[in-house]
Order: sequence, then structure tokens, then C-alpha cells
Amino acid sequence: MRDWQPILGLPLWFWLFIAPSLFALFCLYNRNIARRIITPVWRVLDPIYKISGVIAASFMAIILCLIVGQMVSRWTGTVFPGGTEFAGYAMACTSFFALAYTLNHGAHIRVSIFLNMNDFLRYWLDAFAMLISAITATYFARYAVKTNFFSEMLNDRTQGLDQVPEWVLTVVATFGTWPWNWSELWASSSSDMVYTPVWLPQIAMSIGTILLAIAVWDNLYRLLINKVTSIKSETVE
Amino acid sequence: MTELYAIFIFLFVLFLLLGSSVWVGLALMGVAWVGMELFTSRPAGDAMITTIWTGASSWTLTALPLFIWMGEILFRTRLSQDLFRGLAPWLRFLPGGLLHTNIAGCTIFAAVSGSSAATLNMVGKMSIPELRSRGYPEHMIIGTLAGAATLGLMIPPSLTLIVYGVSINESITKLFMAGIFPGLVLSGLFMAYIVFWHFTTKGPRPKPEPAMSFGQMMKESMFLLPVMGLVFVVIGSMYTGYATATEAAAVGVVGALTLSAFQGSLNWKTFSTSLMGATRTSAMIALILMGAAFLSLSMGFTGLPRAMAELIEGYNLSPIALIAVLTVFYLILGMFMDGLSSVVLTMAIVEPMIRAAGIDVIWFGIFLVVVIETAQVTPPIGLTMAIVEPMIRAAGIDVIWFGIFLVVVIETAQVTPPIGFNLFVLQGMTKHEIGYIAKTAIPMVGLMLLMVVILVVFPELATWLPENIRSRN
Repeated sequence: MRDWQPILGLPLWFWLFIAPSLFALFCLYNRNIARRIITPVWRVLDPIYKISGVIAASFMAIILCLIVGQMVSRWTGTVFPGGTEFAGYAMACTSFFALAYTLNHGAHIRVSIFLNMNDFLRYWLDAFAMLISAITATYFARYAVKTNFFSEMLNDRTQGLDQVPEWVLTVVATFGTWPWNWSELWASSSSDMVYTPVWLPQIAMSIGTILLAIAVWDNLYRLLINKVTSIKSETVE
Repeated sequence: MTELYAIFIFLFVLFLLLGSSVWVGLALMGVAWVGMELFTSRPAGDAMITTIWTGASSWTLTALPLFIWMGEILFRTRLSQDLFRGLAPWLRFLPGGLLHTNIAGCTIFAAVSGSSAATLNMVGKMSIPELRSRGYPEHMIIGTLAGAATLGLMIPPSLTLIVYGVSINESITKLFMAGIFPGLVLSGLFMAYIVFWHFTTKGPRPKPEPAMSFGQMMKESMFLLPVMGLVFVVIGSMYTGYATATEAAAVGVVGALTLSAFQGSLNWKTFSTSLMGATRTSAMIALILMGAAFLSLSMGFTGLPRAMAELIEGYNLSPIALIAVLTVFYLILGMFMDGLSSVVLTMAIVEPMIRAAGIDVIWFGIFLVVVIETAQVTPPIGLTMAIVEPMIRAAGIDVIWFGIFLVVVIETAQVTPPIGFNLFVLQGMTKHEIGYIAKTAIPMVGLMLLMVVILVVFPELATWLPENIRSRN
């Protein structure tokens, strides 16, 4: 698999970097048409950002439960195999799922000295920064997804003692394949415990980074269309 | 020569991206990517994700969201009111009176929260109006608050120390232990300053507080005692080796939830806002750490950190000289960037250097926090003067001319804000001009620089406690 395999006759980098940038130009010159095109998309995206934030928060609560469970099992003398690994996975889920949500709430920090200088910079420098950020985030997401696929292909397993029931993997895999493969998939699956494959927690990384990339592009379009940034930060964190 | 070239490229791209206000985490990734593409033949993207995934899914990091969450929960209780009401009766006997509530309040809240902005907001919200209504001078109220709030960075749990520990692979428990005494000494310095101010200035004194019976005093501080109990449990469990830093954080969250439930301020709204707030802060730090992990990988490939370490060894630079250089460096960096970013940004280079110079990394972590704390309240001019004045005199530059030049810079500085972040939070709270707030903070900057000196002269202040814990990991 090459990194920038052509899709529909054009290399992948065109679709990931050039096409969104072209749409940004379109937003700049045709504000009203762009607004009409993109408003329905916003209606879909806004709840998605929020949901991903809620998912991230629930993983934080899961971290707490895992750590408390680990302490309790130590006091009672029972073993909780792979507790530290699971807490690590939950940590990754919290971080990655929250990326886009955090961005929209203005909680990611940036050096804003020049941004606050005047209105011209507030608009153009912000647009420039968002373009650079969007390209970086897209690159991040592209390789996160690639790594995730490779972990699955190479059947990369955890180095710890953590195990998950195989049916969990099968449930997730069901979403990743066509319905006509489902019977075969479930027939070959057992209810045994297997060592956690790395691709399972890495799904959080793929989803989270893709959402972040979408969120940055989205914020760029909103800035260009509305002429004001839609990132509103709370007064003090 | 390649190293010089590499330094130049890294710095140029870094300042370009950060200056154009790209988000810090993504900017670090961008710089790292440029470094990988220019100086190595390794596939940048794959190396990037491997490093980031390993870092992001590490167990050590789980202490971070939990400690943030603990602070968030207590932030949303009625703790700040109780902090003032509970401390006031005990502190009114001291010379300087209730100004000490600023210091003591910040010290206590610092022990449940890891950030100085949160500490400042929490304590200031209550103490500023109370102290004002009692007629304490405005510059003392604001100055002491600006200084003391930085204790949030030092007294465990400290987010800066967690980030430092994760960046250099050091035990977080040890770093936390190392922060306790310097934090207490610093808060002692602040209190001593208030006492000193009390005896050296004349003028109208605020009315003494009405007398209160001992029973009443206990009643006023009813909620304070459980919070301090929680602090002791969290820190004590780490000290005795009964729990790791992460487990202590989990204890802290459970304790904070219990306390707020007893106090009656725990409901679905405060629970969910504290959880969402903690999620945001933790994701913010996580993104920076991801960028930093990739950047240090990329810098490692260029051989830059090793070259810098060899340079230090080659010059036979004494540790004291190196520390002096780094103090100035971090003070300047810290005035423009927040503490977390300046730690992660520099660790890849600085860590080999200090290891090569034979400096204790735990001690260095504490030192770093003091310097960054100082930078957070340093108005640019105060610092510039201290360092630049002897230099310009030696260089034969007219001091009068330089004064004019400075005034221009000050005026510019009043419209551009490369000033400590704390001062901005205070500006939002008090509606004072930033220049005024900066001025009130100058004595505190002096005290904190004194703290740097104390730390260099008595390194045991930081290193004694961590060497004497019964550690689990």
C-alpha cells in the first residue's frame, strides 16, 4: 500500500490537502453560496463534536474506575491482570476523543500575541494559522489511520497481560466489513479470552484525529464565511 | 556544522509556526515533521504515530486527568468562600492581618489543584472583595495574590511537574515530594514580605477583626479541615509508598466527590461540568505532549541534543554557570509562553545537557518550576532592567537614552501582552490596567528570584524528601 494511493484518478494528497483548501478559497469568495452549502453539514457536525466530548469524559470516568478497581484488588489480594494497560488505553481514548471538542471550546492553547494586535491580523493570521493547523492535523489523521490498519494487518498484540473476550473484537470487526462476510466472521469467532490486539484501542486514535482534522477545517470555513472565529473560550479554565 | 544548521532551521520554523498562532501541539508536530524530512531518511509519518501512540497510551499519564478532575470538583464547591471564612479568624493576629489569607488560601488550594490560573481564580474571587471592603491597600491585595497563586505550579499536585516527569521519564511521586518544601518556603517568603511591609509602612490600618470565640473559629473552618485532611491523605499516601501518583489522584477524586456531596454542592450539573472541564484541560495538555513526543524524536535523529550535551562538557561549563544561563533563558521564554509549553519544548535539548553537567534531574524539575513561576508574574520591563542595566552601562550606552527607549517599550508592552499569564487573569478579575497589576507584582518577582537563589544554595530543600520516601515504583 503506497502512502498516497490514487483515488478516482487523483492522488490521495489531493483529496486530503488540496481539495479542502480549494473549498476554503471558495468560502472566501462566495460567502453566501458557501454558507448555504455548508449549513446542513454544521447541523450534523455540531452534535458529533459534542458526543465525542461526552465519550472522552466517560473514558475519564472509566480511568477512575480502573484505578480504584486496581487498588481494591490489591487490598483484597485478588489479581486484576492488565489493569495498567487498560488504564493506558482509556487514557488514549480520553485524549483522542476530546481533541476536536477541546478545539471548539478554545481550550487548546496558542500564542496569541500577534493575533490580538489588530482586526486585520485577528482575521487573516487566524485564517493562516488554521490552514497550517488543518494541514498538520490532516497529516496526523492520515498516518493514524494507516498505523491502525497496519496493526490489524500485522496482527499486532499487546505487550502486557491484558486480555479481552474475542466476541468483543468480532462485534467491532462486524462494522468494518461487508454484511455478506458477517456469517463467516461470527462462525470463526469463539468466546475465549485473547490478548488485546493493538488495533482495538487505536480505533480511538483514528476517530479522534479524523475528527480533529475535520474540526480544524470546519473552523477555518466558519471563520472565512462568518468573518469571526467560532471558537469561544471559557473565561478561566 | 550540520548541528548549527539544524538549530537554525528548528528555531526558525518553530517561531514561524508559534508566532502565527498555530496551536502549540500542532505547531510542535509541524516543526518535528520539517526536521524529519530534512535531516533523516526515515518515513516521518509512521515514526510519528508510533511515538505518539506509545506516549498517549502510557499508564504514567493517567495521573494527569485525575488530578485535574480533583481540582475541578473542588473548584465548583463552596470551597472558596469557606477558604476565606475559615482562614480569616486564624490569621487576623499576624502583622499584616488578613492579607495572609491570600497566601494561605493559595497554598491550600495549590495542594488540591495543579494550575496557577485556577488557584488565582479560586482564591481571588473571594478574597479580593473581602479585603477591599476591609480597606487593605489595593496594590498589596493584587500583588500578593499574583505571587502566591503561582504556588499552584509548585505544591503537589502540579501539572507542570507531571508534564516534566513524563517528558524525562522520572518518577512523578519523587517530583511531587521534591516540590513540597520549596513551595512552603516560598509561601513563607511571601508571608514574611507582608509582615515586613506591615512594619515598614505607615498609614491608615484596616480595622482589627472582631474577636471570636475558639468554638466559633472552629465552626467557621468546618469545611476547611476536611479539605486539608484530603490533602494530607493524597500526599501522605504517596510519601509512605502506599499509593502511586496515579492512585493518589484517584483517591483525591473520590475524596473530592465525597466532600462536595457532604457539603451539598454535588449535583448532576457540577459533576458533569467538572468532568467536561477536566476532559478539555487534559486533552489540551495531551495534544501538546503528543507534539512534544514527536519533536523530541525528530530532534534525537538530528543528533542535536547529544551535540549540545557534548558542547557543555567540552566547555567545562560549571553547573552553576549553566543554571544561571538557563534561568535567564527560561525567564524570557516563560514570559511569552505558558509554563507547560516551555517545559515540553525545551526538554529534548536541555535534559541531556543537565545530565551531562551532573545536575540532579529531580532538583532541576523544582528549579524549573520556580523559574517558570517567576516568569509568570514578571513584567517584561522588570526583568529587562535587572539584566540589561548592568550590560548597557558596561557597554557605555547612555542610561538616559535607554530610559526613553524603555518608555517606548513599556507603552508598546501595554498594548501587546507578552506578560505573565497570571497578570491577565487578575486583570479580568479586578478590571485594573495591566501595567498597574504588573507593578504590584514586581516585589513578588524579587521574592521568587530570591527563591531561585535559595534553591541553588540549598539544593537539599528539593532533594531531601524524595530521597527519603518509601517508593513503590
